[in-house]
Amino acid sequence: MNIIGELNCIGLCLSLSDFAPYIGLLVVVSIALLAARWMRTRPEQRLFTFISAQFAVLLAILATFYIMQCSGMLTVYLYFTYVVVSTVLIFGLLRFYDKILIRRLDAKPIASIMEWGQEFVDRLTSASVYYYDSAVPRAFASGRSIFVSVGLLEVLDDNELKAVLAHEAWHIRNNSRTPLLKQLSFMTFSYSTEHELEHMADAFAARIAGMEPLISARQKVDKLFI
Amino acid sequence: MVKLDQINISNEGLTKFFSPIEAAILRVLWTDGDMMTSELTEKTKIPLTSIAGTLDRLVKAGYAKRSVDNVNGRVRYVYSPVFSEEEAASEITTRVLDSLVDAFGPLAVENFSKYSGKK
Repeated sequence: MNIIGELNCIGLCLSLSDFAPYIGLLVVVSIALLAARWMRTRPEQRLFTFISAQFAVLLAILATFYIMQCSGMLTVYLYFTYVVVSTVLIFGLLRFYDKILIRRLDAKPIASIMEWGQEFVDRLTSASVYYYDSAVPRAFASGRSIFVSVGLLEVLDDNELKAVLAHEAWHIRNNSRTPLLKQLSFMTFSYSTEHELEHMADAFAARIAGMEPLISARQKVDKLFI
Repeated sequence: MVKLDQINISNEGLTKFFSPIEAAILRVLWTDGDMMTSELTEKTKIPLTSIAGTLDRLVKAGYAKRSVDNVNGRVRYVYSPVFSEEEAASEITTRVLDSLVDAFGPLAVENFSKYSGKK
């Protein structure tokens, strides 16, 4: 049986099953939660509502597989292979991706060109700060490393740079939790929670370095740092 | 483009071989010598957002070099040209002529001699 046939079969069996109303309810709940997300203003609340919606979708998917006794079906194999591959990518590869980036970008410890960058980050989290050779202003975090381009160091003043480093330090501080969110997004085929996370990182940066430097840094480099 | 794989015969001057931004940067570097990014944006009147990627490309292609300098606690790039204007012109013409001879052999050489005769 091909995948379309299997999906039709799952649909048909579900509609005839006694559990169809419960799975339907989960789908309705997830849609309601997704809609509620847009009514929330605080990024934490939006994130929580979105994660709840994703859990409802995940529960509906797993309940369908369980109730249907779908073992042996190609759709189930494909889904679980997809889950395994995404888990390996997110928890394995991405965790050590900074080591690859250091080599690829030929990044060097920031302490070799400026005094306070590493010390500032040390007060916020445990991460190494590297700079790399590029005039394009960019900053990003990966694994337990923060990368900034020389172009970024050129255009920002000290306070703006502190805001950017604090933003990236927030990502590192939450590195143990954010991969779980990524995984949930993969498993429920939903888009990621990146937008809310960026807002939360900005809120942290504003608390540490002040709102003004954060805004002016954003204006200077537009959305070049993530 | 910097790599000289595309030549725009109808363009003027350096823009036959370089993009307008690349040409503007090289002209300023050849005229005024070493300078920081802020001076480059000021003299070329091209904003940093447009110039930054091009600077990376020029350095990678070997037409410009840069060093990282720390002046009063501020990190800065200082750019300088790798070739003088004459050296760059010589390199470009050699590469263009090489490619013409590669493609057309004796015919290209014959045309060069006719051209030099006319001159």
